[in-house]
Amino acid sequence: MPIASGNRHVAWFFRRAIGGAAVLWAVTTFTFIVQALMPGDRALLIINMAAGNITNPSQAEIDAVNAEYGFTDPIAVQYLNYLWRLLHGDFGVSYQLHRPVIEIVGAQILPTIVLAFSALLTAWFIAIFMTVVLAGRANPWSRFVSGLQIVMATMPPYWIGTILLVTFAVYLRIFPVEGKNSLIGLVLPTLALAIPLAGFIGLVIQQEFVRVLEQPFVTSSRARGMGDFGVRLRHVLRHAVLPGVTLSGWAVGSLFSGAVLVETVFARQGIGGILVTATSARDVPLVTGITVISAGIYVIANILVDRAYLIIDPRIKLA
Amino acid sequence: MSSSAVTLPRRVSPRIRETIAISARIPLRVYLAATVIAFFLVSAITPHLLQSHSAFKMDLRATLQPPSLSHFFGTDQAGRDTYSRIVSGAGQSLSIGLGATALSMIVALFLGVAAGLGGRLVDGAVSRFLDVLFAFPMLFLALLFVTVFGPSVTTQIIAVGLGTAPGYARMIRGQVLSARGAGYVEAAVALGHPFPKIVRRHILPNALHPLVVMMTLGVGQAVVWASGLAFLGLGAAPPSSEWGALLDAGRDYITRAWWLEVMPGVAIVAFALSVTVVGHHLQDRLEGRVDA
Amino acid sequence: MSVSFDGGCGRGRFNLSPGGARRILFAGALSMTLSHSVLAADAEPASGGTIQYGHEQEPPCLAGPWIQQWYLQRQFSDNLVSRTDDGRFAPWLATSWTISDDRKTYVFQIKPGVSFTDGTPLDAQAVVDNFNLWLSDDPEKLNNAATEYFKRSFQSAQAAGTLTVRIDLKKPYEPFLDVLSQSTFGIQSPTALARGRQANCEQPVGSGPFIIVKWNHGQDVVLERNPNYNSAPANAKHQGPAYVDGLVWKFLREPPVRYGSLVTGESDVIYDVPAVDWADANKRFQVIRHITGGTPLRLQLNTAFPPFDDVRIRKAFAYAADRRKAVEVSYLGAVPYEGNGALSQSSPEYLSALADAYPYDPDRANRLLDEAGWTARDADGIRFKNGQKLTVRIVYGAGFLVTADGIQALQIIQEQAREAGFNVLLAPTTQAEFWAGKNRGPHDYEIQPSYWTATSAEVFQIVWRPDSGNVVNAMNASRLQDATLWSLIEEADQTFDETRRIKLYQDAQRIVVDSAAVVGFVPLTVTLAVNPKLKDVWLSSAVGAPVFHDAYFAK
Repeated sequence: MPIASGNRHVAWFFRRAIGGAAVLWAVTTFTFIVQALMPGDRALLIINMAAGNITNPSQAEIDAVNAEYGFTDPIAVQYLNYLWRLLHGDFGVSYQLHRPVIEIVGAQILPTIVLAFSALLTAWFIAIFMTVVLAGRANPWSRFVSGLQIVMATMPPYWIGTILLVTFAVYLRIFPVEGKNSLIGLVLPTLALAIPLAGFIGLVIQQEFVRVLEQPFVTSSRARGMGDFGVRLRHVLRHAVLPGVTLSGWAVGSLFSGAVLVETVFARQGIGGILVTATSARDVPLVTGITVISAGIYVIANILVDRAYLIIDPRIKLA
Repeated sequence: MSSSAVTLPRRVSPRIRETIAISARIPLRVYLAATVIAFFLVSAITPHLLQSHSAFKMDLRATLQPPSLSHFFGTDQAGRDTYSRIVSGAGQSLSIGLGATALSMIVALFLGVAAGLGGRLVDGAVSRFLDVLFAFPMLFLALLFVTVFGPSVTTQIIAVGLGTAPGYARMIRGQVLSARGAGYVEAAVALGHPFPKIVRRHILPNALHPLVVMMTLGVGQAVVWASGLAFLGLGAAPPSSEWGALLDAGRDYITRAWWLEVMPGVAIVAFALSVTVVGHHLQDRLEGRVDA
Repeated sequence: MSVSFDGGCGRGRFNLSPGGARRILFAGALSMTLSHSVLAADAEPASGGTIQYGHEQEPPCLAGPWIQQWYLQRQFSDNLVSRTDDGRFAPWLATSWTISDDRKTYVFQIKPGVSFTDGTPLDAQAVVDNFNLWLSDDPEKLNNAATEYFKRSFQSAQAAGTLTVRIDLKKPYEPFLDVLSQSTFGIQSPTALARGRQANCEQPVGSGPFIIVKWNHGQDVVLERNPNYNSAPANAKHQGPAYVDGLVWKFLREPPVRYGSLVTGESDVIYDVPAVDWADANKRFQVIRHITGGTPLRLQLNTAFPPFDDVRIRKAFAYAADRRKAVEVSYLGAVPYEGNGALSQSSPEYLSALADAYPYDPDRANRLLDEAGWTARDADGIRFKNGQKLTVRIVYGAGFLVTADGIQALQIIQEQAREAGFNVLLAPTTQAEFWAGKNRGPHDYEIQPSYWTATSAEVFQIVWRPDSGNVVNAMNASRLQDATLWSLIEEADQTFDETRRIKLYQDAQRIVVDSAAVVGFVPLTVTLAVNPKLKDVWLSSAVGAPVFHDAYFAK
């Protein structure tokens, strides 16, 4: 690759990275502001949570907690401390679990990423299958699939998940009930997330697919003797998936949201389940830590998606 | 679904002829969807009309009954009729959905128009800001709010509203930008019309044309997400019949009383689906794609 | 089977001089002999296997004052004494003990040859170290249960010999042994405790039948057998190490998942059988239930402010709803109704005459409300007076103090009380908010359901202690400050005459129930459903902690 072009790639990544960092800074500031507004006495909350009961703590005990967490410092000081610690990867200590947030999240993030990733792949697989095989045809199956896609897209993942759990795990015993870290325990939760997303992606790429099917170059391919399936797979699909790829960037965020609900339903490991408990426990450091880290993953995922877009569609310039 | 041309006697007025002709071209599924929406709207406004029993009346001798003729969707642990609870919950679920969508639209309008009309600087700043909000998975933002402000119906509306706003803001920004660059706007500028007048008479009406469709689609999604929050136990207090709360309550009984979990879910899906079908149809008509 | 009696039952200091003798509580000996003879007839239980146990809530720390931690602590630590089902005490780490005549000095003889699983010997000094830690002023180290129960009575703990512990109290405290039998007072290794709170949270060390290997956060705690275990309580089914190789303590919060895992065989035993599966569980599995003592989960009525400052209105509320039926329908037999709001039926001082206090009587409720002046009703049937509605806010800890079944029952009560004219509003509060004090300010609630787990009426000391100075007793949500009541409780706590003690506590119960400051609901219940192939799982008498030390898999 000529040096000039290589420079442009580097420049592109650099610009993206700066942009991403700026977004992350804004995210952390936003979460800090939101949590600083939290009403109620945080020291009392922490003491009672540790005791597991309502206690009558003395002022000395409350002061000790205030000093440890810096609750009584001026807000600007708290903010700067917060940013400074974040830069060192210190997200604070969870109120209820008394362990560093980074440790908690680090241990639990992998199952969520695995779940989100496999849901994304599965959703694409289903969507491509439906589109390549059935889109743009006049038979009743195609119309059925179009309608099915809308239905799939509107089904809440927690609802699908509950029904799948009861039908396939409890009644039919095909899958295990407990969501351990096994491969087979991944199937039902993945389906619960993948089905709505497949509906969305399917709807989006189908429109594009049908439009491209009518392009002249497709007709000429057929004239040259290429089979219908080949045409669809080799020529049309490549164009049709573009809007779907953009959608995938957004989908990462949506999958994380869905993971929160699905992990609760299947009692699976992952930051989603932890986030829910942390929310009811008003465990601010843990909630903000998970949110910021997820935002980080989202930003990285989007940069990667944009890069993938460039590969798929060389018409886009590295502007 | 296509329809055959309708011919009417000449004596019928052209207006009525036109209306009937348009109506005949609307696919069947849209009619069905509209009926479902109407059903839920009536449930929301006057639930008593559609309920078979009182939603709160408990019949301790008929607990956990499966669906039957007297109880269409069965009864719950306290003998309350599930169908009636769903009907009575429509009001709360729909108002949360509408409230969240309205909030979402207001925020999105403000941001999108500002970005579309403002100079490059404003556009750049707002776009970055939208990127930030977009970076929060919607539910995470909602849970952050709930963590700080505590669970309640208000938090539900604000969380879902703010969470869905960035997507709409981007769409509106795109619409405003393309309207601004349109030929007739150029002409108006060349003719010397003042800018605010151009904005008011040309840009905004054309840019916000698809707003109705967006809102329609949005309400469905808002109801689904708000129910998700309630499902996690972060919504209204019992004995609320809000659909998400019903799903949360029904979870424990799913092995022995499946109707408690399945039926409210069906209601949510039916509503979101109908709203989506109608919304897509309106979108098709707007874009001139008849009989899509 | 081989049973070793090293230092266990049968030995002790009997010095029965006439009149005012030292008293020794040793009743366990007889019951233990009986259980051993029964077991001798069975074949030798097989060793091996790992128990998959489906528990529910995960605690933030593996040792601490919360009931969820007590269940875990029972597995890895031993207590000084063990409570038997009839309320007496059997030797455990303390092979014998004496109480002085003035009831202020306790001397415990510690079993020789016991060590903690980290090698530290379990001697008198180790026990004394534990006491001092529980009662320390450092909030990181203290045990909140100790503070509430006996800090006020406590003077000092000393090692009077290598294996002799001497405890001196400032004033007599009858429930002392009862309190010491609760697993939060299990003895932990001082070496381990010195590591600090964090390490002790993750991997506490005791002398118990199981050793904590690893805590997989959000998933389970893995424990393995302690091969050197020689300090089982005298009322255990066998002495010596556990039969099984290990125990996996899983956290399965969702009831369908938890019960489902038992049905599919992924779990051998589960905790808290869901009410909706109660009937099925009783058909298919062995179901063990322990009704915890202490106060039941009862509705505390705020007597400090209107409307419940008027005893007639309190009684009206008690008569207005059919609480018994609400409980039956919501819990489906898994948990019984408890009409005595003051004390649970498992506590020996329980007054059964109060079990039917305030039966469902809507006419009486309406009469009482009319008498109290709330005669006017609005269009919805809600009573009002001076422009104020008769509003009752029930503030409860959603999901942790009151479970889904309880919430169901509260809704039924809400609906029925409405017919008498009460405007009942349910105010669920998340765990964190509840502990931060939200909705619990004096004007924020009319009813607050809650409980305090204990073995018997010593709990009155905690829940009915009057406010002193500006320290408000947060455990007394009814705000009842009754001097007669408190003097009865104080006297009972210092009385060692069993009959008189019980009478005092029963009088206390009568006052509490007659004043309708609390209204009965349900007792706290521990249930286990066990797969038939796993034998000899039992629930300890102290607070219903599951005991797996004697469990084995049938061949």
